[in-house]
Amino acid sequence: MFDRDVWQEIFNTLKTNKLRTFLTGFSVGWAIFILVMLLASVNGMQNGFVGQFNDDATNSIFVRTGTTSKAYGGFEAGRRIQLKNDDLEYIKQTFPKDIEYISARYYANATARYKSETGSYSVQATHPGHQAIEKTLVTSGRYINEADIVNKAKVAVIGRKVAEDLFKKEDPLGKFVEFNGLPFRVIGIFTDDGDDNAERRIYAPVSTYQRIYGNTNEIASIALTYNPNYDLTEALDFSERLEILMKRRHKIAPEDQAGLSVWNYAEAFNDISSFTAVLKGIGIGVGFLILIAGIVGIGNIMVFTIKERTKEIGVRKALGARPSQIVNLVLLESVFITAISGFVGLLFAWMILAAIGPMIQTPAFSNPSVNLSTVITATIILVIAGVLAGLLPAMKAANVKPIVALSDK
Amino acid sequence: MIEIKDLHKSYKMGSNSLHVLKGINFKVEEGELVAIMGSSGSGKSTLLNILGMLDGADSGEYTLDGVPIKNLSETKAAQYRNKFLGFIFQSFNLINYKSAAENVALPLYYQKVPRKERQEKAMKYLERVGLKPWAGHLPSELSGGQKQRVAIARAMAAEPKVLLADEPTGALDSKTSYEVMDLIQKINDEGNTILVVTHEEDIAHMCKRIVHLKDGVIVEDKKVEQVRAEQYV
Repeated sequence: MFDRDVWQEIFNTLKTNKLRTFLTGFSVGWAIFILVMLLASVNGMQNGFVGQFNDDATNSIFVRTGTTSKAYGGFEAGRRIQLKNDDLEYIKQTFPKDIEYISARYYANATARYKSETGSYSVQATHPGHQAIEKTLVTSGRYINEADIVNKAKVAVIGRKVAEDLFKKEDPLGKFVEFNGLPFRVIGIFTDDGDDNAERRIYAPVSTYQRIYGNTNEIASIALTYNPNYDLTEALDFSERLEILMKRRHKIAPEDQAGLSVWNYAEAFNDISSFTAVLKGIGIGVGFLILIAGIVGIGNIMVFTIKERTKEIGVRKALGARPSQIVNLVLLESVFITAISGFVGLLFAWMILAAIGPMIQTPAFSNPSVNLSTVITATIILVIAGVLAGLLPAMKAANVKPIVALSDK
Repeated sequence: MIEIKDLHKSYKMGSNSLHVLKGINFKVEEGELVAIMGSSGSGKSTLLNILGMLDGADSGEYTLDGVPIKNLSETKAAQYRNKFLGFIFQSFNLINYKSAAENVALPLYYQKVPRKERQEKAMKYLERVGLKPWAGHLPSELSGGQKQRVAIARAMAAEPKVLLADEPTGALDSKTSYEVMDLIQKINDEGNTILVVTHEEDIAHMCKRIVHLKDGVIVEDKKVEQVRAEQYV
């Protein structure tokens, strides 16, 4: 199969029909190029989506409350549900095995002042566990710790933008900044990969803010991460149990999402995964359809080649070529054109992706690329495509009657 | 060497059937040089094609070197052609992108002879037809006579039992024709069996036996005094 004579013949036919070979090869190369680019784009979208969510821990769950939309348990609709510290404690104690980190959230706005600089920022009062849930990156200093909570310490972890706005070139660590007139000591500075707005945020101990705002034990929402060893079903199961329990505790109708909702990241992530899977399927489908056009092109050129070489095939048969040897010759030529042109397409796509892929970093689309398995799959597809394209013409060639071929003058 | 009995062949031409061979009985011994003559349409080429296993007969028997040739699969026919027969065509039918030596080596390739041995044999046969210096040339760089000599070398390379020549001089001028016939005679002198289809009297008389075909039957089969082509060269 791989001896020199066969290759000599293949190269010769290709050489004598350069333009034709190029044009048909181009169709296959183009098809593979598009296929790879489509897959890379889907990949890029997936990367983009994942990047959007990566801001938070991927195993996080948020419990939020609102006003009930349904009458339930003797209460009328329109009742405001308020989470309190004991809700947090209750969850902590009920699901010790399921929870990794848990934190309350208390929202406030603060007009911050340092020396002559002022600015308005949103404050999130949290527990120490919140750092892991939000994936807050503390670049200098530290995050809120348990001691701050117990002592109701007036400390703050400020975003990079806040530090820039208020402190300019000064090092904010250890400095006192006034929030609505109350002095808070800056204990840390954080950055956020997600977006700049997150860096205009201030974190403070939840207990401190609860005391400032009327010695309350109310909290706005609860954020937690579940056991990272859980798979999707376990995670969904856990959030369901959590939701049922919390709704029972607050006497909310089980189906009432307005009163209390448990938002599970895994669920949303799952939706995105299936969305990108569908996109990928469409990409592959479209790519294949284009590839089929390319295959037909190759098949076409092979039919022509055989027509032109009918006489030669007749001579070969007269000299003792078996039909299988003729089939072999045609198939190999077809696979060769397909594989080479496909590889060129693949290479082009890969080079373009390698060159511009890493530069593309938008929220919905980042770093389009293909992995090795895609390349291997494409290669296998190419070889199969080549065989398919050559098969019919090869059979035709093998069935050429030498007598007919030889009289074809 | 060749034995055919009551061979019939007809071609379908639309709704009509053209009866080309109407019962041919014919025997060729080893070492013979036979000319098959006849005007066009007499069935001589059809006979040669059937002898060459390029075409099948409708009825009758054909035995080649003791092997009955009947209902061959394509693969089997290819094998037999390769083993038993060498073809020489009017239009040479060399493969135009292969050098003279590669053309000669082609039947050996289909016999799965190793490359090196193939090349050696090809050179040997090119030398016999006097074209060794042209071994690396493409057919387009050779004259008609040279092409036919390459084709003869190719036909002989596989060392077949029988050489079949279909109008081997049909495309050549008379001087070159005689050169080719001289070569064919010399190959025959070495004991090879050769069948030549021709419609030229002088070429036919350079063989040892002439079989006349007319309207699908043998009308005459005679041994002749061979005219040596050498004297015209």
